[in-house]
Amino acid sequence: MKLYEYKAYEQSEMLKKGEISARELTESYFERIDEVESKVDAYITLNRENALLSADDVDKKRASGEALDKLAGIPIGIKDNISTDGIKTTCASKMLENYEPVFNATVVNKLKSKGAVITGKLNMDEFAMGSSTENSYFKKTKNPFDLDCVPGGSSGGSAAAVAACEASLALGSDTGGSIRQPASLCGVVGLKPTYGSVSRYGLVAFASSLDQIGPFGRCVKDVALLQDAIAGHDKMDATSVKMDHASTFDSLTGDVSGLRIGIPKEYFGSGVNDDVKASVMQSVEELVKKGAVIKEISLPSTDYALSAYYIIACAEASSNLARFDGVKYGYRCDKPKSLIDMYERTRSEGFGREVKRRIILGTFVLSSGYYDAYYKKAKLLQLRIKDEFNRAFEGVDVIATPTSPFEAFKIGEKVGDPLSMYSADICTVTVNIAGLPAVSVPCGYSKNGLPYGMQLIGRHFDEKTILNAAYAHEMCFGVFKAPKL
Amino acid sequence: MNVDIKHVAKLARLKIDDSELSRYESEMSDIIGMVESMPDIDDEWLVDENNAMELRKDELSDDKLSREQILKNAPKVVAGCVVVPKTVD
Amino acid sequence: MIKGYEVVIGLEVHAELNTKTKIYCSCKNSFGLEVNTQVCPICLGMPGTLPTLNESVVDYAIKMGHALNCGINRICKQDRKNYFYPDLPKSYQISQADIPLCHDGYLDVLVNGDTKRIGIERIHIEEDAGKLLHSDKFDGSLVDFNRCGVPLIEIVSRPDMRSSEEAKAYLETIKSILKYIDISDCKMQEGSIRCDVNVSVHKPGEPFGTRCEMKNVNSFSAAVRGIDYEANRQIELLESGGTVVQETRRWDDAKGESISMRSKEDAQDYRYFPEPDLLTIVVPEEKVKMLKDTLPELPNAKIMRYVSDYSLSQTDAAMIVDVPEKSKFFDDCISAGCTAPKLLSNWILGEISKFMNEGVSIEQTSLTASMLAKLVNYISSGKISTAAGKTVFDAIINENADDIDKVIEEKSLAQISDISMLEELAKEVLAANEKSVQDYKNGKTNALGYLVGQCMKASKGKANPGAMKEIVLKYLA
Repeated sequence: MKLYEYKAYEQSEMLKKGEISARELTESYFERIDEVESKVDAYITLNRENALLSADDVDKKRASGEALDKLAGIPIGIKDNISTDGIKTTCASKMLENYEPVFNATVVNKLKSKGAVITGKLNMDEFAMGSSTENSYFKKTKNPFDLDCVPGGSSGGSAAAVAACEASLALGSDTGGSIRQPASLCGVVGLKPTYGSVSRYGLVAFASSLDQIGPFGRCVKDVALLQDAIAGHDKMDATSVKMDHASTFDSLTGDVSGLRIGIPKEYFGSGVNDDVKASVMQSVEELVKKGAVIKEISLPSTDYALSAYYIIACAEASSNLARFDGVKYGYRCDKPKSLIDMYERTRSEGFGREVKRRIILGTFVLSSGYYDAYYKKAKLLQLRIKDEFNRAFEGVDVIATPTSPFEAFKIGEKVGDPLSMYSADICTVTVNIAGLPAVSVPCGYSKNGLPYGMQLIGRHFDEKTILNAAYAHEMCFGVFKAPKL
Repeated sequence: MNVDIKHVAKLARLKIDDSELSRYESEMSDIIGMVESMPDIDDEWLVDENNAMELRKDELSDDKLSREQILKNAPKVVAGCVVVPKTVD
Repeated sequence: MIKGYEVVIGLEVHAELNTKTKIYCSCKNSFGLEVNTQVCPICLGMPGTLPTLNESVVDYAIKMGHALNCGINRICKQDRKNYFYPDLPKSYQISQADIPLCHDGYLDVLVNGDTKRIGIERIHIEEDAGKLLHSDKFDGSLVDFNRCGVPLIEIVSRPDMRSSEEAKAYLETIKSILKYIDISDCKMQEGSIRCDVNVSVHKPGEPFGTRCEMKNVNSFSAAVRGIDYEANRQIELLESGGTVVQETRRWDDAKGESISMRSKEDAQDYRYFPEPDLLTIVVPEEKVKMLKDTLPELPNAKIMRYVSDYSLSQTDAAMIVDVPEKSKFFDDCISAGCTAPKLLSNWILGEISKFMNEGVSIEQTSLTASMLAKLVNYISSGKISTAAGKTVFDAIINENADDIDKVIEEKSLAQISDISMLEELAKEVLAANEKSVQDYKNGKTNALGYLVGQCMKASKGKANPGAMKEIVLKYLA
């Protein structure tokens, strides 16, 4: 068995016992990258030299007897919208093709201080807008389970890299499903943490009130390990919550006796593939055998969630992306004739179609005369959705739904049909709107051998319960089986 | 509901070519069509007192970046300043 | 009233707050440093950065709210105002839209001895933008971002002013309050206070006319000129049968005219929405109250007190109150037992202002309030002459003397007020000047001055001139 095939928590143990060195582990991943990256195209930027230097640093510290963190020496890939000091952070956009941040995101500082090794920057949909990673300006990432299929998005590079063992763990970001949906499509585990539990400082904003950074791993334990490392209050992020985050890793028991699982009928509607529904329900039945209880619940406003989501997300995006104007950083059009010419050409040439489409939608819903009918209404709907979840959680501990309504689709299949692409998010967006935590775990395979994912949604800041339920599921279902590449 | 794409694009400082216009218009009317299914809600939208933030103490930070660092990504710099096309308001 | 029209004026004042750090980041809040050296990734709006709200900005704005008798929205939020301009790095300004921190107050200002109450609609907090620099030699504009994120409060008045004179009094009172509660440096030349002016005209009894907003008003005197120009422009327009259109105009103080910037039709659509990077501002009730309790006596109240309690003229009172250091010193002298407030005010506006105008503060000298109180009392009671007082004062300021009585003794400055001594002196002088005495008795009244002068000379200037004159008169009678 190759080193890169071990789970991160196993590698951590091996490093701790001195069975392997961080350099060996890191080299193993770069060998794997050399082997399969040309097929998968998960990375935008590789950080090979620096990765090896930080691995050596960890080995030196360990040799000197220093007590090290569980993540010390573990190779981790970072989505390319999370700022890395001195390493290009492109957001997969022409606009930021050559942009090199002068500061680290808080999560990157946390990982570095724990001795994690950064393998490189992972591909994504431009500015995290998309569900297939096809909106990257640079390349199309392929699904390791079928190279003709998309890996999902927007964190498609993160999901694919972990699934293809091109990184032990990865960070992604999730605004409407951008961690869970690609995790589902690539057969890995992805967690969207509670809004406010992980600092957003340094995450290039798409929709500030919905964005959250979260972990990818090949098993639940790995995801818990990385979540524990990145969670916590940050004074640089006013929306981050001040509270203790007990270790989720240490609380994984797999005991689900008495766990009340809510099944919301709205998430098993006509838009969801029957095979997906069946495999989710089968997984839930397995948990019932282990002592969990099923309760049917209703979240009636779900039908409007996608609309509310697109309004809120695009409104915020139209403002967040206004700073890309060719003045201070990033792309500037050639030979601007005037200020207005510079603005318009820079932004029209620097942004891709989907980004422009969302900026236009967002600008429209905020514009004079339309604010109340769209933005305000969406915000009121958001309150209603939050309320429905709060009431549901009075009777259940977790809510189980499909993650993606369908398996990975063919590259190019949905390009040019925005509404069809947006429908990929119908099961995931409500979670962001309500600010809740949710994890996606593999729960079956299609007849084409493509993975399905089950989403487990929890109460605010109750990552522990959903991860433990996911862990119990994983014990029944079996852990990640690497696709042949 | 038709969206005046030209007007909105102007607000967003985007240039939409006439050749792209109809495509944007039809996509946007599809999206708006979906979005208009939202129910009417009479609730008042109030500021949430329970969602308070902690304010920052008025204290200087010691870590400071040099001007060179701060402007290293700027497309055009002259005399320590970012350059833009001549702008008088 | 101009040609039968009433002028209606509303003002929006932007004041930069003198907090240590900027409003949304920990960069230094300072003026005049080298371009682009007081900036960080946050105030430059670099991708991924987030704002954190400076507590002092909220406190300062609430203080101003109290000073202007406002209600305080202790639960409020911030909003984004979206527009593109090179000096605005994020392409939106974090401000407050529908829920300002302070609302519905008023300010009493003195105009020609009368009190005029002007309504305050709101005060909100927001961030300043950077600066564009231009040069004829250079084909382009340069952007200096140092000012980005400097905290501002915007104070919006109601359209309650009826003349440029009232507007000026309002602006000056606002400025002195900002200085008094020490929340702004109020340096006009550095742009730390700026204002936008709204002007309309109408015939009394008729509804308000269409208003024009004037931007780029950089000084209070420019505000006066701008208002007068704009009022006359509108009146002439109406008189010649035209109509006033709602628009934004730019005041050009050098040319003394306003020019149209944009009409209502192409007014900008700022697309305000709640700032998602910041949560609710919740100021505890106790804090709101504490900020009110710690508010000092405000300058307009002080002026009224000086006029009523110490019989100072409004002009003198205003001049003292205008400089907080002078006013504090005045109050301290009174507390230290000064019994001649009018004379005290002369000294503060005379000798003390003289050295303060040269940039020397009272604190930098040896002068204390109890010393000045004593000195003024001595002069007022006749113990020393005004001229001697000046000598003592100079010794304090220039030679760091710290004991007034010692200076008076060493320099033999005490006046002779002992009547018997003065009578003795008068007898001798009158005896030696019989001709002048005779002249006086023959009706040449100016001989009196000569005789008193001779007495003063004989006393080597130490005689109390008032007492001396009375004694001479008594002997001549």
